[in-house]
Amino acid sequence: MNLSSQNSSGGTPGDSRYRWLYIAVAVAFAVLLGRLWYLQILQGETYHRVSTQNIVRNVEEDPPRGRIFDRNGVKLAGNRTAYDVVVVPHILRQHDVEEVVDRLRRHLNLTDQRVDDLRSSIANEDGDLTVRSDITRGQVAALETDKMYLPGVEVHSHAKRVYPLDEIVAHLVGFMGEVNQKELRNLRDVGYGPGDYIGRMGLEEAYEGVLRGAPGIDRQVVNARGISQGSEETRMMLGQLHEVEPMPGRDLVLNIDARLQLAVHRAMSSYPSGGAVALDPSDGSILAMYSKPSFNPNSWSGQLASHEKMEADNDPFKPMLDKTVNAYFPGSVFKIVGAWAGLDRAKFSPDEEVDCPGYYRFGGRRFRCWKWGGHGEVDMAEALQHSCDVYFYKLADEMGLEPLSEHAFRFGFGQRTGVSINQESKGRVPTREWHRRHSPNGYQPGFALNVVLGQGNTLATPLQVALAYGAVANGGTLWYPRIVDRIQTGEGRVLYDVEPKVRKKLSIEDAHLDVIRRGLRRAVNREEGTAYDARLEEIDVAGKTGTAQVHSIGEVRIQNRNKVFRLRDHAWFAAYAPAEDPEIVVAVFLEHAGHGGQEAGPVVKHIMETYFDPSNEAALARKVDGVSPRPEEP
Amino acid sequence: MRSNTSKWRILLRRIDWPLVVIVVALAGIGILNLSSASQASGGFNLHLTQTVWFLLGTGVVTVMCVFDYRVFERWAYLLYGGVLLLLVGVLVVGTELNGSQRWLNLGFFLMQPSELLKIGVILVAARYFHDREQAEPYRLRELVLPFSLVGAGIFLVVQQPDLGTSLVILIIFMTSVVFEGLHRSSIAALGLAALVAVPVGWTWGMHDYQRQRVKAFVNLTEDRYGASWQVRQSVIAFGSGRVWGKGHGEGTQIQKGFVPEHENDFIASNWGEEHGFAGMVLLLGLYGALIGRALTISRRARDTFGAHIGVGVAAFIFWHVLVNIGMVTGLVPVVGLTLPLLSYGGSSLLTTFIALGLLMNVSMRARPLH
Repeated sequence: MNLSSQNSSGGTPGDSRYRWLYIAVAVAFAVLLGRLWYLQILQGETYHRVSTQNIVRNVEEDPPRGRIFDRNGVKLAGNRTAYDVVVVPHILRQHDVEEVVDRLRRHLNLTDQRVDDLRSSIANEDGDLTVRSDITRGQVAALETDKMYLPGVEVHSHAKRVYPLDEIVAHLVGFMGEVNQKELRNLRDVGYGPGDYIGRMGLEEAYEGVLRGAPGIDRQVVNARGISQGSEETRMMLGQLHEVEPMPGRDLVLNIDARLQLAVHRAMSSYPSGGAVALDPSDGSILAMYSKPSFNPNSWSGQLASHEKMEADNDPFKPMLDKTVNAYFPGSVFKIVGAWAGLDRAKFSPDEEVDCPGYYRFGGRRFRCWKWGGHGEVDMAEALQHSCDVYFYKLADEMGLEPLSEHAFRFGFGQRTGVSINQESKGRVPTREWHRRHSPNGYQPGFALNVVLGQGNTLATPLQVALAYGAVANGGTLWYPRIVDRIQTGEGRVLYDVEPKVRKKLSIEDAHLDVIRRGLRRAVNREEGTAYDARLEEIDVAGKTGTAQVHSIGEVRIQNRNKVFRLRDHAWFAAYAPAEDPEIVVAVFLEHAGHGGQEAGPVVKHIMETYFDPSNEAALARKVDGVSPRPEEP
Repeated sequence: MRSNTSKWRILLRRIDWPLVVIVVALAGIGILNLSSASQASGGFNLHLTQTVWFLLGTGVVTVMCVFDYRVFERWAYLLYGGVLLLLVGVLVVGTELNGSQRWLNLGFFLMQPSELLKIGVILVAARYFHDREQAEPYRLRELVLPFSLVGAGIFLVVQQPDLGTSLVILIIFMTSVVFEGLHRSSIAALGLAALVAVPVGWTWGMHDYQRQRVKAFVNLTEDRYGASWQVRQSVIAFGSGRVWGKGHGEGTQIQKGFVPEHENDFIASNWGEEHGFAGMVLLLGLYGALIGRALTISRRARDTFGAHIGVGVAAFIFWHVLVNIGMVTGLVPVVGLTLPLLSYGGSSLLTTFIALGLLMNVSMRARPLH
């Protein structure tokens, strides 16, 4: 009422001006409400999801890797907790850097060089920095005690793989290595990330999927600084979803006997290079499998000192090569193939005697027997006993190459055994076809005379030899090698039993087998046999030596020890015992070691002695038990 | 004696209850919201401190209503001069925090005189237009005095530096000028000046952190951990509140520390996350009602001075709400402006209550007391 009279008088604000103000306010508030409508109603679900992701952090939990045991429960691979010291520069920088670095230096005995690196890394504010990995428990305790004065210093724990037997089962068990960038491209999909470890050799590699298990996820509620808000709040906000338990890796129990493995290791101690396989002929179980020179898988797992890697790379004896599955000239251990082929295909009478004058005439050339003077009249068993080359030359000359290669294949040579570790070689059985393709002048009839002696282009792995002799020992069954006996949980519940599996039946006639076995028994037990050095006092051993020439003999015979190492003969011995009812087959290959009977024979003898002598076993048990000096957690 | 008692009775009867109800409702929301913010700030009882400030503010309003607001008309230029002196004092002996010198340390309280300047500018505009009583639109040359006075104040605030406050002071003043009416040529001249001022201000007038904020605003996601991080997290807080909000004290964005300054300039995120769109409609509704009430009081005022106080206080509330909510929802760049009655802090709250005291005073004296 007085409003109009007052306002209209001095041209003071009238209604139209207020109307504009109301409109301006209404428009502005409509814009704000529109914005809120968009954010809270239209995009509400999206932002709600984002806000949930904001406070949840997924921490991957590594599963404990499965352990590996021998047949008696001796641990061949296990885990322990390792502690690393990590510095977080951006936190440390807010405190007295010198003081902290000085404490670290004292606790960890850091070198001046390391201290300088540390200082510059902190100054540059690099990412998190591992100051020292795998510190001792004493150091962990000291750092914990001093925690108050060590801001930005963290002790991280992680599981570290340990191999209590060090180099004794290295190639078979394998070791662990960090996945590299290239592998990661394929492995990312199956849950590997940078810094993860993966099996690099042997069972660790072949059974990676079984041993590894599946990682779990631990979800935590965090605040804006990424600091965990504690388990109670996490449970309250995320409920049951807060954790997916990791699935632990499965344990492997092997057929390997660590004590026998140690016996092989010791028996071969004076030879620089070679491989040995011991197995049970009744089912193909591998009892020992050892390659030399070996390496320490504990050093190779994780950060290998560069000098160690370089030494291994430059070592002429190739420590990283598993020689039990690598192929070499088998020499005379291959003669069982010729013997069987002769009996089976050429219908050679085992009693027919051949005269050995020390050489065999073929196509205007003389093929020499290893014995200068010759063996005189020998039948087949005697030929195996003495390893008479001339007998087998004649055999090969009469039947040609084809029966030889056929029977070699039937014994399992020239094919992979199915052992599944360490990229086994399939060896080589030369055929006419192979020669047509690979020999400079194509196939020549004389080639059979080399093949029958396990020379020429014949190649076999110690494992193949052991399995073939296993078939002789057990009456004609070729087994698949069986390293793993069963897969079980950490509590010992068996998940999978690896059943023995027949690879093939040789279909060898009993009469033929008898002849071969007689020859192998004589080779060990007759004084003039080539493997007399390998006999045991109480147990009947049967076996065959091999001395494989690495280059052609030529006209002048050179003493083995006078040759350059890499041109020296390979020494082989393959045997089984007891001869009547075989329990064990052992094949030993000594690279460039010389004469099979003199060198490889005694090695096999030591292994057999250990296998059969209980007192020896007890002594070794002590040794094996004492092998593990490292603390280990279950 | 007798007339005195009747004066008190009349004043009591003239209390503007709609205004009281709106302000008490907003203050209630403010205290409730701060009790949640306190929890997130590690248990400081911000809401209790704020309650004390509200009671002090009520005292200020009461005291201010005792005098006829025309006292302020008489003393307007003098009061303004006093504020300018305080601002000079800030530049000389002020307390510096986070790289800018905005406060006078009174021992028990850090006073921010630039807040008082907002009131001062409202008084200066009201006084000037009250004196002129001009019917035709103003030309710039007729506004030299108020522009010089306000310009001097803004200049002093820019020196601190405090760009957000100087801008809001300028637009509160401009609201009064435009309300009063400007000649077309003057509008054109001012528009031209603004066009020149933007690039000049960008190059010489702004600090790096301010340019950073504007750049971050242009592309919200580019600098995730820098200037826009705060806005981004605030936007997530609002959006994740959806229709009904996450509940009091349950806002994860606020409670887990994702929104910095959440008890201060970003207080609206706290409310928006925990009470959702519904809570925001209520809040904006109350602010709208407050602005509407101020304009009604302005319209009913007995003189031009009173009418301009109404418009000035309405502008004061309006611009703070518009810029603050706009900035926390990512509509405008971050300029550091509080949300009246919700943000924690004494200076901002006291200034708001002085403005409300003036408004109440104008309302109570719309008619002569006798």
